[in-house]
Parts: sequence; structure tokens; C-alpha cells
Amino acid sequence: MKRKSQDCPSRLPDNSAVKQQQLPAYRLQLSANKILFGFFATGVFCLGVGVILLLSAKTIKEVEINYTEKCANCAKLRENAANFDKECNCSIPFVLPETMKGNVYMYYKLYGFYQNLYRYILSRSNSQLVGTDVKDVRNCAPFKTSHNGIPIAPCGAIANSMFNDTIILSYNLNSSIHIKVPMIRSGITWWTDKYVKFQNPSFQNLSSAFAGTTKPPNWPKPAYELDEEDPGNNGFINDDFIVWMRTAAFPTFKKLYRRLHRIEHFTEGLPAGSYSFNITYNFPVNRFQGEKAVVLSTLTWSGGSSLFLGLAYMVTGAVTWLAFFSMLAVHLRLRERKMFFLQQ
Amino acid sequence: MFCSKKKSLEVERIVKANDREYNEKYQYTDNRIHTCKYNILTFLPINLFEQFQRVANVYFLFLLILQLIPEISSLTWFTTIVPLVLVVTMTAVKDATDDYFRHKSDNQVNNRQSEVLIDSKLQNEKWMNVKVGDIIKLENNQFVAADLLLLSSSEPHGLCYIETAELDGETNLKVRHALSVTSELGADISRLAKFDGIVVCEAPNNKLDKFTGVLSWKGSEHSLNNEKIILRGCVLRNTSWCFGMVIFAGPDTKLMQNSGKTKFKRTSIDRLMNTLVLWIFGFLICLGIILAIGNSIWENQVGDQFRTFLFWNEGEKNSVFSGFLTFWSYIIILNTVVPISLYVSVEVIRLGHSYFINWDRKMYYSGKATPAQARTTTLNEELGQIEYVFSDKTGTLTENIMTFKKCSINGRIYGEVHDVLGQKTDMTKKKEAVGFSVSPQDDSTFPFFDHHLMESIKMGDPKVHEFLRLLALCHTVMSEENSAGELIYQVQSPDEGALVTAAKNLGFIFKSRTPETITIEELGTLVTYQLLAFLDFNNFRKRMSVIVRNPEGQIKLYSKGADTILFERLHPSNEDLLTLTSDHLSEFAGEGLRTLAIAYRDLDDKYFKEWHKMLEDANAAVDERDERIAGLYEEIERDLMLLGATAVEDKLQEGVIETVTSLSLANIKIWVLTGDKQETAINIGYACNMLTDDMNDVFIIAGNTAVEVREELRKAKENLFGQNRSFSNGHVVFEKKQPLELDSVVEETVTGDYALIINGHSLTVYDQWFITLFNIVYTSLPVLAMGIFDQDVNDQNSMDCPQLYKPGQLNLLFNKHKFFICVAHGIYTSLALFFIPYGAFYNVAGEDGQHIADYQSFAVTMATSLVIVVSVQIALDTSYWTIINHVFVWGSIATYFSILLTMHSNGLFGIFPRQFPFVGNARHSLTQKCIWLVILLTIVASVMPVVAFRFLKVDLFPTLSDQIRQWQKAQKKARPLRSRKPQTRRSSSRRSGYAFAHQEGYGELITSGKNMRAKYPPPTSGLEKTLYNSTSWIENLCKKTTDTVSSFSQDKTVKL
Repeated sequence: MKRKSQDCPSRLPDNSAVKQQQLPAYRLQLSANKILFGFFATGVFCLGVGVILLLSAKTIKEVEINYTEKCANCAKLRENAANFDKECNCSIPFVLPETMKGNVYMYYKLYGFYQNLYRYILSRSNSQLVGTDVKDVRNCAPFKTSHNGIPIAPCGAIANSMFNDTIILSYNLNSSIHIKVPMIRSGITWWTDKYVKFQNPSFQNLSSAFAGTTKPPNWPKPAYELDEEDPGNNGFINDDFIVWMRTAAFPTFKKLYRRLHRIEHFTEGLPAGSYSFNITYNFPVNRFQGEKAVVLSTLTWSGGSSLFLGLAYMVTGAVTWLAFFSMLAVHLRLRERKMFFLQQ
Repeated sequence: MFCSKKKSLEVERIVKANDREYNEKYQYTDNRIHTCKYNILTFLPINLFEQFQRVANVYFLFLLILQLIPEISSLTWFTTIVPLVLVVTMTAVKDATDDYFRHKSDNQVNNRQSEVLIDSKLQNEKWMNVKVGDIIKLENNQFVAADLLLLSSSEPHGLCYIETAELDGETNLKVRHALSVTSELGADISRLAKFDGIVVCEAPNNKLDKFTGVLSWKGSEHSLNNEKIILRGCVLRNTSWCFGMVIFAGPDTKLMQNSGKTKFKRTSIDRLMNTLVLWIFGFLICLGIILAIGNSIWENQVGDQFRTFLFWNEGEKNSVFSGFLTFWSYIIILNTVVPISLYVSVEVIRLGHSYFINWDRKMYYSGKATPAQARTTTLNEELGQIEYVFSDKTGTLTENIMTFKKCSINGRIYGEVHDVLGQKTDMTKKKEAVGFSVSPQDDSTFPFFDHHLMESIKMGDPKVHEFLRLLALCHTVMSEENSAGELIYQVQSPDEGALVTAAKNLGFIFKSRTPETITIEELGTLVTYQLLAFLDFNNFRKRMSVIVRNPEGQIKLYSKGADTILFERLHPSNEDLLTLTSDHLSEFAGEGLRTLAIAYRDLDDKYFKEWHKMLEDANAAVDERDERIAGLYEEIERDLMLLGATAVEDKLQEGVIETVTSLSLANIKIWVLTGDKQETAINIGYACNMLTDDMNDVFIIAGNTAVEVREELRKAKENLFGQNRSFSNGHVVFEKKQPLELDSVVEETVTGDYALIINGHSLTVYDQWFITLFNIVYTSLPVLAMGIFDQDVNDQNSMDCPQLYKPGQLNLLFNKHKFFICVAHGIYTSLALFFIPYGAFYNVAGEDGQHIADYQSFAVTMATSLVIVVSVQIALDTSYWTIINHVFVWGSIATYFSILLTMHSNGLFGIFPRQFPFVGNARHSLTQKCIWLVILLTIVASVMPVVAFRFLKVDLFPTLSDQIRQWQKAQKKARPLRSRKPQTRRSSSRRSGYAFAHQEGYGELITSGKNMRAKYPPPTSGLEKTLYNSTSWIENLCKKTTDTVSSFSQDKTVKL
């Protein structure tokens, strides 16, 4: 027997720490005091963050103007699809009581538009949008091709339903002088979207790149004519188009439209005073009983945060503290009993 | 390949010895065995077929098919095919490795060498080439290659001894004997080569203890039974050679017929898991229906107005149909709710545990250089839930080594172990000096140290001499001298071996016997006793006696047996001695020793002659022969003079008492299965603390059939409930009924064995998989809430691994109650995970003013929170942080982020713009402060309630393990399990320690002289007598030890 055990020493399992489950280990023992302290500290932290968030949210200046009803005549016109080529303008005056300091951002906001619909989200062709194959319309149902079978570019339900109102903000210095507030349309998209995800087909001439395709049915103009002022902003890399193509998670959403160009009168931001939105009303919302609005907003360190996050932090902090106090009470009351157990 | 498939069902087997051509026409299988399942070609189809019989795989396949329907498909096909392929591949690799090892072991077995008689010559042949009808030669300690008909052997009368440990786990030797006509063939190769007998027998079957057949040879027929058959898997023992003819080969052998398909064992957790998975599946269906109805309503109310932007697809122009399709889509999306991957994780965890078991040095047995081996990975967690341990007795509880420990001679105890160590060693030295001079054949390993006995022997105390003489005379041991001149005893029962060896070491050496004489060496003088009668042992007499005439002419009856029996038969003058001896016996019994009482009687010549005549008459009688003999035995075995008692220790395996005690403390009931007699079983029960004196009533249940036993058990139970409601704590020693039945239990026992070992070492409970379920619930329910959200959660499986490395966990139980808590927790977490980001993202812009609440950013935020929440949860559940835990917990988070960044990278998008539309998302979202604030809040909100809940639970309702942990913390170091020393129960018990592993029939064997070598003079007078019933002895001998089923159950109150 002894010889045998010498013959096969290999059968003795290795004495490594892993195999013997003897790795140096830290035994996580959360003592009552540690847990209670943890709760207390978490409460303090949450309340602190909540207060900061709420205070900074308060500094945000925001103006929202819902123009669904205000441009009722235009809305009516758009209800009839036959009037798609008729232009309809609408001017909405408003007064800014306080200066909006710093960067000011202009958004359009839609209510009740289900950009998060499952079939809607899928109805796009990324390989078309990245310019590799402009005729690739797979997944684009129900907007793959026109009636005569020509592939649509950009295809799909998302592209077809693109928001196409134009909004111009003018500053009314006085009753006679209306200054068009300078706005930048660049920098409203993600860098990766603009330079990676969306690319025009590589052709000398943009219109020939789109040859063999047709425009989406709801669009008045083909993709390569989206921006008449800036030839570099046409086709799939049009900023407004890219912004629209980044689908929203909720049926109510606001998307960045323009940024304030801080020059001349507007170096400090938007001064208080009277303004007006001049809107070319193209996008029909009455058909799905939606609404649309235009929003001007400033930002804070955490972006354009709403009150929710701050409140949620406050509530969490308060609940944590409540839990802390009740746990403390329970623990103190039971301490005696515990000592008894320990002695057992 | 399908080696075991037969063309037609075999009804009867006809085999002709030494005639391969003749046997070939029946196309019997050869001796090659295949336990492997596949070969290279068949592996893929068979393995896939097997794998797709599993529910989990079928489920995945079903999902895959659903996803191929474009109207329904809601996830890309690779979300399903990736895990499916992963699981199937992993299983296939595991199966392939298993099968590779099976191939290897098959090869090894098939290539074993054996000597086969081919062309009148003994040739070495591989096992696999042995054919039915071949005659093969076996040598001592060789494995038997196939099921053989024993033809002849080196032992007289064609006897041979086999060990059947591989077949039924029994280590004691069994006797097989050849037909007398064939045993004459001996080792004569030329005659064996001419042997052309034809065996007609039953078709291959799995009954290990049955064989029926007929051998036709030289015009006469001889019936064959199991006693002539040596089965594959046995080992030849104490027999230098034997010849056998192959009857069944390879897969037809009884061993292989028994090793059928291993049944997949399900643990109770598996069953619970299956139930829960079914519930979850039902839950999923319900959810699907609810969501589909919701979809129909939405499509009806809102979706219709939205039609401008999103036409109906062709063929789904109404909302009800849309709802129907949505149902299937949701089934696909929410498929992760059904924790199918749980099975895989559990499998992996079990595998890990079994490796830890195999690696554990604490479970390494250096004596046999054997590490612990987990033979199945499916039952690991059951080890933490064992309620009953079924144990074999011999070999598991005991070492099957008997040692002569003590004796009481004429009212004096010898062999008492003294407490003072120095004194004891002193005595040992003395004993050696004395012992050698007295007995030249002293066995140096003999552990009996008492120089008082030596002195008594030297002084010539007549009682002591008589006592030892009796031990040397009254037994069934056969002696043999090997080439070196050493005496070798062939013992039939280890008890007798111990007694005879003890006598030998004390100077009364049993030298040899013939059917009529016994020669012993008494302190150096050879004395030959005439053996006049042998009053054999049986289970009712519980004693055996020999009547001998010593050289002086005195006739003496020497008897040994159960104290209870012998004490009734003593001469009245023995009363004082009886009291004293019976006290000693109680003491021995209290120490768990097996006792025998020893007595003798002087007979006068005339009386004996009369008696002997009557015995011969009785032997010749046709009617009531047995009863008459029994009556005569009773008649002569009376008025005995008590000499004393012996105490033999059935040596327990190391640590048995401690283990049994721990098991009882763990409230684990032990059933011992044994082929031993009731007395032995009870004795062992006491010896290893399974039964203790404070148990008042031992219920003995004796019944021959299952019905009887059940009935008696029921009665005993009623009885118990009347007195004491702690029946559940009872240990039961259950005696083996049928060998087959034991076989079916053996498999269980293998598991039991290592459970025994594990529990002997630590009371660790492996229940970590419970958290795995948690994990799955965590990762799936948020998906449920989110609905559409999918890709980013797939890498969660990496989380399952940390559980593997948490040995310190104790108290997590898995039951339906816990499960619902988990579900509630899961729902809460998923709500937090969804609604906090929802509220925070609503109407919010990013730091650069950009739109932030897009679907992709939302998805990334939730996925990140989810991964971190799950990791924190796991971290909280990990109480034992090793480097591996750190690697896995931090590693899984790191992996998540690296995979996230990779999937959202420009490069991947450039290559597959279709599959990776999330390009740039991680970079954009994870640089936003407010997203991190959202993630942080989500974590706090999800984790804090759990911590609070646990804190309160530990505080308000501490479990035992909580207390132990606190206690451990207070102690700062773990204390070893208190080992319980076997308690010495001094004479408190009045029970008998009688236990004698002896079988009936050996007396006859001895007096017939059948098992004696030719060098002894052939018996004369005794032969006629025994030829008369020459078949009966071997039948008795080979008869199954106990056909009576008796068991006793016992209530036991365990003090915790």
C-alpha cells in the first residue's frame, strides 16, 4: 500500500490555493454599524445631489410655444394631403420677460408622435444612409419603393415622416426693426452620426449620386436639395435629417433645431424683449391628433435637466434616511436579545 | 456501431466448447465491450439528436423558428442562435470528452490479456478477441474476462473462490465449484482441448444470482446453476488457477447487462426549478396575451390615426391580427424571462463544485492514494440537503478486519487497556519477550497486549489452557502451509479467523485437520485430537460445538456461541461465574465488541456412544431428519461448564463514530444496508454510535416479503408514535433482502459515500445557484418592462460565474417562498430601472443641448444601470471575497463596458452597418453627467431596499447561520468541529454483544473432507455418511446469507 502511494504521487490533488479553496480572501462582514452608517451617508449624499440638481434646474430659462392651435389655418390646410405644394406661413409673436443668458438652444417639440413604435424604428436602411448602397431599401417597409418600383432614398417610415417645418426667430427691437436672430444649424448632431453613421454616396455630383432613386412620398424635395443655402448640408448628411433619424424613446420629445449664434445683440444670450417665430408650416400633426411646439432653452452643467431627477434624488434621500432611523430603532431595541444569542 | 443491437431476440443460448465454427453460426457477440456512445462519424447526428431532446434546447429552437417568420421576428436571429450554439457546442464538447475517455477505458479493458486455449495450446489473447465457447485460464487475483462456466480449478473438488466486489460491493469471498465431471480435467491442456461439451442455457440477462443451463457432455447431461458460473468483473482469490468456458461474452455478460443506460438523476432542485420554469412560462404567456390585447387596443385607438406615417404591412390590416402577431413577437422578446440559461449556469456551477470536490486534499485518502471523486455532477447541491444516508456496512462502516481484543477467562478479564500510557508500553515490551518464547509462530501484528494472560498460560492455569484449546479446536478454519512453511488459515468467517489466530499467538496453534482429526500445537507439543462430532452452527442454534477425544481418551464437548443461548445450557454450579462473566460480556458489548461465550463439557464414553449412535440413526432417517438431529444436538449441549467469553472487534473505519455523530447532529438519518445477521447489525449499530443505550426500544422487524416488512414497519411506527413522536430521528438498520435490490441502491450509495465524507469534514452547504436564479430574474425582468430592449443584456452570462467561488455561504434556501420574494424583488428592480431613467429623460436635453432622450441612449443607460445593479447585488451576496471574486465582479463590469464600446465603435459599424446601428452611442451617452446621475440613482434605489430588508431580517429573525457568523466574528477564528470520542458505556447496558458472522454448512464441509487436499488421508468412515447428502453442504454454503429480512428501527433523541 505504501509503495503504491509513492508510485502515484500525482493522484494527490495539487496544494494550490485555488484548488483547495484557500485563496486569500476578505470576508465581507457587513456589521450593523457599517450598514447603518452606509444608509445615513447615502441619505446625505442623495439629499445633497437632489438639492444641487434642483437649484441648477431652477436656473434654466425655458420658453415653450405650442403652435398647433395658433396656426390653425395652416393646420387645416395640411389636413388635406392634396395641398402639399402650397406654402403656409404663420407668425407667432411672444415676449421674453428676462434675458436668457448664455447659450440658447431652439428645439421643436412633438406631442403624441410615436417615434418609438417598433415597426417605425426598424423602417430605415443604415447601409443606404451610410452611402454604401443607395438602392438598398431592405427593412424599409412600407416605404421601400415608389409606385413604379423605384427605390426611395432615404427610404423608410422614419425618413418619410421627417419634421419639415422651418422656424425662424426674429427679435423685434422695436415695432419697425425686426432682426432675424442669428442661428447656427451645425453642431446639433452627434459627431458620430454626422461623420460615421450618415454619409452621402461618393459621387462628384450629389444629384447623380441619387440617380435611380426617388424622394420619399411626403417630401416636397429630394434629399440632395434639402438645404438650398449650404450645398454641403444636403443628402443624408443634412443636420436636420440626422437629428430626425435619431428616434426618440417617448412619444413626446423635443429635438434640437438651431443654436443661438452669439454675435452682435446676442453675445450675452437672448435679451429680454419681444420676439416672433416665423414658421413655415409643413408638418401635419392634426392627422394623429398630435401637437407641436417650439422651445427656447438655456442649459446648466448637467444639460437641460428637468426637475424630476432632483426630486427623485430628494425622495430617495428622504426614504433612505427614514429607513436609517427605523433600522436604528429596531437594532437598538434588539441589541439585548442579540447579546443573548452571542452568549449561547 | 450499434453494437448492442441484436438482429433477433435470443431465447436460448447454445454454446459448444472449443468449437468456434459451431458457435459462429449463432453470431454471439465477442468479448469486446463498447461503453462509448459515439464514433467520429456518428457523433454529430446522435449527439445533436440527444441534445434536442432537452426542453431548453427545444425552447431555443422554437424561438429561432419563430424569429424566422418576418412578421413576428422582433429580435435579430443571432440573439437566439448565439446562446443556442454556445450551449450546444459546450455540451457537445463535454460529451465528446466524456466519450473519448470511455473509448480509452474500453480500449484498455478490451486489450487486457488472458490465456485462451487455442489449437490445443494456451495462448495469450486480448480480451476483445475472446469468443464464446473458448476455454480460458485464470490465475489468482486476475479479473474474470467473461461469464464463464467453471470447469476445473487448482483447489480440491473444483472449488474456487471469487470476490464479487465489482458486482455487488461485497468483499467477502464466495465459493464456486465445478461439476465433478469437469473438475477431473484439472490442468490437463490436452484433455481440456478435447472438451467438447455443449451448454444450453438462458439468454443473456442481468440477473446476477441466477443461472440455469444444462451441460451435455459424453452423452450425459448435467444441470448448471449459478454456483458453477464465474461472472465477468469478479476477481479470482485464494485459487491459484482455474479453467472456464466462456458462456456470455462482452455486452452479453451479466455485468454489462446490468450497466445499462445511466438514468439521469434529477435533484429536488431540478424538480423545483422545472416547476418554477413552467410557472414562469405560464407567466410569459399571460404577459404575451395582455400585451397583445394592449397592442390591439392601441392599434385601434391611436395607431389608426398614425397610419400616415406607418402603413399596415400587407396582410395585417386589422388590429386583432396585429395583436396576434404581437403576441408571438413578445414571446420572442421576453423569452429571457424564462430562465433557460439557468440550466446551463447550474450545470456549470455543478461542474465547478465537482472539481472542487475532486481537488480537495482534505478528502484525499492517503492509504489508497485516492482523492475524492465526484462521479456525477448532477447531484452536487443535493449534498447540502441530504436527509437519509444509505450506507453499506462492510467496507464502509467497518474495515472488515476482526481483531481479538479481550477475553474473560474464569471470571477474569484479560486484554484490558490501561489508561496510563507508560504502563501500557511497558507491558508491550514484556509481552513481546514472553510471547516469543511461548509461541514460535507469533504473529507480530497481533495487537493483544496483556502479559497477565501470558503469565497465566505459563503458570499452566488449566482453565486458561482449556479456553485456548477450545479456540484452537472449535472452528471451521482450514489450515495450509505455504512454501515458506508459514501457516495460512483459510477462514470462512473473520470472527473465527480472529479467534484461531489469537489462540495461535497465545501458544495454542491450530496446525492441521483431517475429517477425523484436529492437530494442534499446545505450547510446543503437538497434540492430535480425534474429531468425533461436529455440531454445526446455524442461525437458530447460534452456537457450534465439536466433540473431540484427546490423546488421554477423554471425550470433551467444546462449544462457543451466543451468550444468551449458552448461559441457558450451563451446569447449575456455574452460577457465580455466570454472573461475573455476564458482567464482563455487558462491558464488552458496551464497547461495541462482538462477544461469544465459551463453554465445555466432559462427556463419558458410554453416554457419547449412545448419543452418537442415535445421531447416525437420525442422519440416516428419511423423515424429520433435521429435527431429529437438532434434538440430539440440544440433548448433548447441556450442563456445560462455562470457561469465559471472547470479545472481537469488528474494526470500524477511521472516523466512523465522529462522522455518524456529526450526521446525527445534522439530523441526517442513516440506513445501513447489510447482508449480516441481525445480531451483527445491531452490534455495529451500537459500535458506531448509531444506536445508543438511551434508546429504549429497538424495534426488530422481521419479515420475509416486502409486504410483511411494510406491515411490521407500520406497526412499529404506530408503536413509536404512541410513545414518542421523534420517529423521524430514527436510524434504521435495514438488512439486505435481495442482492438485486441492493444493486439498485448501490448507485445511490456511491453518492452517499462521498456525502458521508464531505459531511464528516465540514457542514458546508452548496446552495449558491439560488442567486443564479436571482441573476436571471434581474436580467430578464427589466427586459420585460422595457419590451423592446435587447442586445445589451446578452453578456450577462458572465455574471453567473462568481457564484462558483463562494464556499462560505450557508443559509440560502431555495423554495417557492423565496422564489416569490425574488420575483417581487425582480419586479421592483425592473420598475426602478425603467421608470427612473424614464422620468429623468423625459423632456431633457444633453449637456451640449442635443436631444438625449433617444431610444438608443435610453437603452444604453438602462443596460448600464442594470449591469451595475446586478454586480452590486452579487457583490452584496458575496461574503467571501477572493481574488477570483474580484476578477469576476469587476471583470464583468469591465467586460460589459468594453463590449459596449466595441459594439458601438465606428470600425464595427463600418463593416456591418446593419447589425451595429448603435454606433457612437456609448461614447456620447456615457460622457453625459446626467446619465451617470441617473445610473447612480437607479443603483441606490434598487439596492438600498434589499440591504434594508436583509438587515431587518438578520436583526429580527436571525437564522442559525447568521448567529454562527456573528459568533465566529466574535471568536475571530474558526474552531474545529468538536470530535466526539466514543463514549465508554460501562456496564450500563444489559444487552448481548453476540454477533458472529458465520454461515451454516461449513461443519459438513469439514467432516466431509471435501475441501481438503489430497495429501490428507482420504476419509473412510466419515465419507459414506457425508456422501449420503453430498449436495446439501454446498447448497447450504452458497445459500444466500440471509433470506430473512429483519430490520429494526429505533427512536433516538438527539440533543442539539
